[in-house]
Amino acid sequence: MHKQAILLGSDAIAHGVRLSRPEVISAYPITPQTHIIETLSEMVDSGELKSQYIKVESEMSAIAAVLGSVSTGSRSFTASSSQGLAMMHEILHWVAGARLPLVLVNANRALGAPWNIWSDQSDSFSQRDTGWLQIYCETSQEALDTIIIAYKASEQLMLPIMVMIDGFILSHTMERLLVPDQQIVDDYLPAYKAPYRLDPDNSLTFGAAAHPDLFYELKKTFSETMTEALTVLDQCQEEFAQKFGRCYQPVMRCPEGDEKSNTALLCCGAMTGTVRVAVAELNKNGTPTDLIKLRLLRPFPNRELCEALKDKKQVIVLNRACSYGVGGTLSQEVRAALYNLPQRPLINDVMISLGGKEVFPETITEVVENREQLSSVECNWLDS
Amino acid sequence: MTKLKHVKAIQNGDFRGLPISATSTAINLTGNWKFFRPHLVAKDSPCRQACPLNIPIATYLDKLSSGKPLEALDLLRDTNPMPAVTGRVCPHFCQSACNRQEFDEAVLIGDLERYLGDLGLEYPHPASAEKKTEKIAIIGAGPAGLSAAFFLARQGLKVTIFEKAPTAGGLLRYGIPAYRLPRSILDQEIDNLLTSFNIDLQCNRNIEASELLQLKKEYHNIIWAPGLQHSSLPTPWRTIPQIKGALEILAAINRGENIDGQRFIVVGGGNAALDTARSLLRLGKQVEIVYRRTIAEMPAYEEEKKQALEEGLLINEEEVVEKIETVANTLQLNIHQTQNNAGRINAGTFLKTIETDYLIAAIGQESDLAFDNNDSVIKAGDFDHGAASVAEALASGRRAAENILKQLEITPSIDVNEGSENPVIVENDQLHLEYYSKKPAVSVPELDSRIRKENFSEIRQALSEEQMKSEIERCFHCGSCTACGICWFFCPDVAIAIDLEESNPDKRVLFDYDHCKGCGQCAAICPRGVIEMEEDH
Repeated sequence: MHKQAILLGSDAIAHGVRLSRPEVISAYPITPQTHIIETLSEMVDSGELKSQYIKVESEMSAIAAVLGSVSTGSRSFTASSSQGLAMMHEILHWVAGARLPLVLVNANRALGAPWNIWSDQSDSFSQRDTGWLQIYCETSQEALDTIIIAYKASEQLMLPIMVMIDGFILSHTMERLLVPDQQIVDDYLPAYKAPYRLDPDNSLTFGAAAHPDLFYELKKTFSETMTEALTVLDQCQEEFAQKFGRCYQPVMRCPEGDEKSNTALLCCGAMTGTVRVAVAELNKNGTPTDLIKLRLLRPFPNRELCEALKDKKQVIVLNRACSYGVGGTLSQEVRAALYNLPQRPLINDVMISLGGKEVFPETITEVVENREQLSSVECNWLDS
Repeated sequence: MTKLKHVKAIQNGDFRGLPISATSTAINLTGNWKFFRPHLVAKDSPCRQACPLNIPIATYLDKLSSGKPLEALDLLRDTNPMPAVTGRVCPHFCQSACNRQEFDEAVLIGDLERYLGDLGLEYPHPASAEKKTEKIAIIGAGPAGLSAAFFLARQGLKVTIFEKAPTAGGLLRYGIPAYRLPRSILDQEIDNLLTSFNIDLQCNRNIEASELLQLKKEYHNIIWAPGLQHSSLPTPWRTIPQIKGALEILAAINRGENIDGQRFIVVGGGNAALDTARSLLRLGKQVEIVYRRTIAEMPAYEEEKKQALEEGLLINEEEVVEKIETVANTLQLNIHQTQNNAGRINAGTFLKTIETDYLIAAIGQESDLAFDNNDSVIKAGDFDHGAASVAEALASGRRAAENILKQLEITPSIDVNEGSENPVIVENDQLHLEYYSKKPAVSVPELDSRIRKENFSEIRQALSEEQMKSEIERCFHCGSCTACGICWFFCPDVAIAIDLEESNPDKRVLFDYDHCKGCGQCAAICPRGVIEMEEDH
């Protein structure tokens, strides 16, 4: 059913892609995503993965190439990071607007200037409004599994999904994990049968001009489908849990936390691992703290988050991306979601790291221990 | 829980709410936005322009590369009646002009021509047009005469060739050694030409210029192409029996006659000098060349020079025979160093004395035929334009034939200048070489110099089919559309269609002007420089 392996995060992702059997891969290398596509190109070269690998000269061409291939009904894959993802921006809108199912892995990295290659979620948070589903992974196992789930959900929804891993923290570290057998993945993820596709014998026009009323109508449908996506993703994750034994949800309470505590920490991505250690320590030392991991940024799981945090007095949001002039981007999302709670918790916006600034368990415990001093109006930046 | 209205709809094949339309955008005539439009402008390749016969090289190589060798052969023989010969003996003016030279190496057009020429030995020329009653006489069955016969007989005219020698070929047979042009190839090519058009060849018939008026009564027109019969000798040399002309000695060797003497000095630096020296070498004679300039300045073809040096031929460069004395049947030659005074060569200081049995003069050719400038005959070949290449002689014969056709008001069934009336030559900077990768020319085997100087076997070997295919891939097809499809690939408006079946290169790209916005990408990327933009009215 699966093989145990100790793999580099990038290789684990490549295996997730291989198991999903994309027919077309196109990508342009960028640190820290490079190993992912290097491994994939070797898999294609050796015949281990039967896929067309299209070499291109830029990320713009990579995303345009897979926009084309997925339009013809071929399951496709691309990956990028940072400036590369930024360069794809225009086509990201186009892929989503054209309702094409595509999976993109982004290795989160800071955007310049100044030049910085380390982990930072500003790159994908900047693409929040492109109409892609966004899933953030804590571990390489989670990333491998999420790619398989993402293809299934994407093809049911006819919407593209971006899967995030933190650059270097996941991409360049080894992890013991389970690589599922091809057969069980095939059983879970059947071949993609496009309901519509570019076909010279049955011509259709994709994304042609729409007059204002039709445009509005299409976007309304798009938005409603995004809401439906929560249900579809749930179903896909549940079926995955049954088949593979690993359960993923858009909002996950970590067992290290104290569910009954008044204070909760909220974060997303690989940082969760560090926060788990800090939270266990805090609970052991008499500071009851809960820990919520957010996997899904788009569509935003408002209902699930309200349910998880409805009894909290204080929610501390740990941010790795900043919307300059407001504060942590994730904090704004959480604030908006919790506004509808009858008893609103205090929300503290903490900028825990940018550009790879190291997050230690002590950094977290210090924030929680001094929570009385945190502003609930302004963004809280750490003293340097 | 949300009801999956939209997701279910998609899964049930209902596309409402999706940005997809079953109608075509073809109704949106984006073509009326444009100010400029692309069009195909067939151009000439520099190889064709450099060829005395104006052979459409890019076009026939295109046929060969698309696996149609017989069509390629037809195209080649439309302009060149003797490709098996020229493929061997022509200095390949085409290759010296090839755009590929600046990229890596010229395409071996000569060897490709020879490949097709040899193939053609098995195939008769296509039947001539409707038979005509006019009779034409041609004096001389050398390359000019044979070429004229070909271009006339192809139009159905009745042609008779009068040849002084026992066999046709002229200089091809009596001047060019067999190691450059095997006699079996020459015989087959001439036979094929004569029999395909039923040309009447009368050998051992010497026609004097004085007989032309009489002949004119029987024939509608006469072509005079007797060639140059003799090597030029300086007057003081003519009386010395041990001094001979290169043409005479070459003819004797080529007739298989026994050559007296053992030691030979050949004076000259042209092809005749090298052909004579190398032929004598093959007969086991001791041969040296004396040439007044440097080897690099010798007018002989580079390939001949290279091969001669490989064979160990001794060339005394910048030397001159200043004085000749006859001593008991041998010649004592006083050799002087030459001095080059601003291009003028003068004898300088005495260098050495050489003793030799024979001195061969290869310093020019002349005709001794009495001939008035007679308007009723058309001159062709070396007699007309002086000693020149075989390709030039063939072209001269063709021009003579065209003159006659014009007089008779016969439109040639094949326009040999087609596509070349107002030649625009594709220069190197008009090509887009990023679509080509470097690839050196194939290595054509030659007989080892130690073996070949013992006999008259052909030196340069034929291309194998594999080599032919490899070499043909190197041709840029300058100015000739090959339906490569790069314009189709780049056209952002799907306004280009490629007709892969179209045999006419000028019609292979079809522009949909209703939808072409005139962006010009196709013109900017065409690897062969065939697409140009013009103002749209």
